[in-house]
Parts: sequence; C-alpha cells; structure tokens
Amino acid sequence: MRKAMVLFASLFAATAWAAGSEDDVPGYILHHVVDSPYLEIEVPLGSPIHAVDLPQILVPLKAEGCAPKMTEHGQEIPGLTEGCLDLSITKHTIMMWLAALLLLATMFIWSNRDKTKLVPRGAGANLIEMLVLFVRDELAIKNIGKEEGPRYVPYLLTAFFFVLFMNLLGLIPWMATATGNLAVTAALALCTFIITQLAGIRAAGLGGYLKHLTGGVAPWLWPIMIPVEVLGLFTKPFALTMRLFANMLAGHIVLFFLLGLIFILGHPAVAAVSVPFAFAIYLLELFVAFVQAYVFTMLSALFIGMSVAMGHHHDDHGHESEVGPSHDHGKAHHI
Amino acid sequence: MEVKEPRKPGGSDGSELGETARQMRAAQPYVSAVWKLVGGAVVGVLGGYWLDKWLETGPWLMVVLSLVGICVGFYGFLHEMSRLGRRK
Repeated sequence: MRKAMVLFASLFAATAWAAGSEDDVPGYILHHVVDSPYLEIEVPLGSPIHAVDLPQILVPLKAEGCAPKMTEHGQEIPGLTEGCLDLSITKHTIMMWLAALLLLATMFIWSNRDKTKLVPRGAGANLIEMLVLFVRDELAIKNIGKEEGPRYVPYLLTAFFFVLFMNLLGLIPWMATATGNLAVTAALALCTFIITQLAGIRAAGLGGYLKHLTGGVAPWLWPIMIPVEVLGLFTKPFALTMRLFANMLAGHIVLFFLLGLIFILGHPAVAAVSVPFAFAIYLLELFVAFVQAYVFTMLSALFIGMSVAMGHHHDDHGHESEVGPSHDHGKAHHI
Repeated sequence: MEVKEPRKPGGSDGSELGETARQMRAAQPYVSAVWKLVGGAVVGVLGGYWLDKWLETGPWLMVVLSLVGICVGFYGFLHEMSRLGRRK
C-alpha cells in the first residue's frame, strides 16, 4: 500500500513537472480538460509530447461545401465550421469508445452465461452482481415502483456503467474524462428524456400524454400553455446535463490547479503541500466517479418514475383520467 | 362482487418507493403549478421578442405578449392550485 502511494505521488510530481514546461498554467489546464482533434501522450520526465491526429469527418450539407465559422466581426472561430455536419473523431469520442469496449469486455468476462449455476463465483462476478442488484433494487424499484421499475433496469444499468467507466477512464494518466464534455452529458440526458417521455406515453396513452401538455386549461389558452408545458419538459434533462458535466469538469480542474500552484507560486517547497492535496483530491475523484454515476442513474429513475406516476394519475394536472394505462400491471417482470 | 382496488403510482401500492421518490411525486403538481406561473411570462416575453424581430414591430408585440403570458401564467397557476385544494 505504501509503495502504491509513493508511486502515485511520484506520478503526480512528474505530471506537475511536465506542467512546469508551460508558462500559462490556466491555459495548460484548459487544454487538458477540453476536447481536441488529437490524442496526446505525454511521457513524464521525457521532453516531446507525442500527438496522434484523429480523422476529421465533415459531411457537407450545402452544395458550396464547408466554410470556417465566422464571428460577427469577420474573425474565424477555430474548430467550428458552417454548412456541414461535423462527425470528426475527437479525444472524447475515443474515450467513449474505449469505455464502451471495456464495459462490454467486463460484462462478457464476469457475467454468468451458465444458467444452471445461479451463484456468482469470484470477486469480479460478485462485484458486478452487487452493482446490478443495487441499481435494480435501490434505484429502479425505489424510484419507479416494483411493477414498472424492472422494465427500465436495462437502460438504467447501461447508463450507470457507461457513465462510471467514462468517469474512471478520466482518472487514468493519458486518458480524458468524456463526461466533462457538455455534448456527451447532453446526449446522455437526451436518452433519459426520450425514455421518460415514452414511459409517460406508455402509462397515460398518447391521448392522455398530449392532454397533459395542454395544462388543463381552456382551449383558447393553449397557444401559450402548450409552449409553457413543452418548455417545462426540458428542465429536467437540462439539470441532468449540467450537473454531471460541471461536477466532472470541476473535479479535474481542481486536481490540475493544485499541481499548478507549484508553478504559480514558483517555489519547489509548495509541492510538499500541493502533491499530497492533489493525491487526496484524486482519491476523492475516485469516489466522485461512483457518486456521479449513481446520481445520474438515480435522477433518471426518479424522472421516469414521476412520468409513470403522472401517467397513472394524470388528473393531477387537471384532466380526469379517460385513457387507461395501455399495459397489464398484473404481469410480473423478470430480468 | 369483486371490488377493484384503486391503482397506485407505479402500478403497485407504492409502499416500495423510496422517501425521495415519494416526496418528489407529492411535490410534482405544485412544481408544475409554479412552472406555469414562471413559464407563462417566459414564453410571452420570448415569443414577443421573436415576433417583433420577425415582423419589425418592436417593442409592441413583446410588451403585449409578455402581459398576456403573465396573465395566462397566473390563471394556470390559480387554476391548478384551486384544483389541488379541491382534491384535498
């Protein structure tokens, strides 16, 4: 354990030393936490930074092709183009693919494919079973209900493990945190949003769902009330997007800044304080990786549960229930 | 004669739900009512601003639609609250 701690501390110190070669500490930090069209491999205590350029894929949407995006004052905005669909592979895309591959490999290795043996064997299989049961029993059933909950467990498990793997990848040297990218968290929240709406439609029926969007007021007020209700649907995924993104990004910035303090204050003695602090934050980030995956899944389950409950009780919004639930509640669900 | 039990949130008796889920479900109609109050004004102002830009009538449509939005928001809020009061 002591050896591992010394190893980690040396790694932090080496990273900090590498940071010292840059004059602009905030710029260096920002460069490391934002997405980029190349993968950087920095060798601690080695001079050159090896960068691997990633393929740029631009699909033109207009006949005249792609053009660089300009500001109002005619200045080019780097990295942004106009008139084309940017499907370029970036550092965070690679991280997502890597997380997905690792997730698939982990599940293939540790999942039980022998249906005759129901008891998991080994630490890995037990760990996976513990997490799966936690998501099913503590998140899905406690937030959605014991009859409807198991139906959404596959999605919740996918979201939990995918977010967890992306968070953990960001803590490995040379890797990046894809969940610290607004586009990634927005896409994840969009998945939850779609499932939440489908759960609402499933519980209330399409008629009941659309009726809920009218806010229960007279038809002549619908032109104002429908946009209000539609706008209200997006508040939950917006909160989901922002909080995962901000939490992951902030943690990494704090980690980098603690090491950057050595160079901002310009004295090697600062390392004696900032390296142990950075190490402590690193351990905290390890915990945060699990907490954020848990919170994302818990909130997703909560929103799905609220949508299901609203569907069953959609007189809460001022409409007497005419459209019955479109499914059989008597059926037991098995996973 | 068989008496049908009323359906509870989530399609069960709701006893398995966690405290957070229970509280969020209880608060949901009130949150929705408050959103109507705020959202009415937001939709009125944004809708008016956009129409003003499109029709070049600024700032009149924004003034009128924001007032309409505030009134509809108030009406929606009071409508929802009186319904919730009656249910209690």
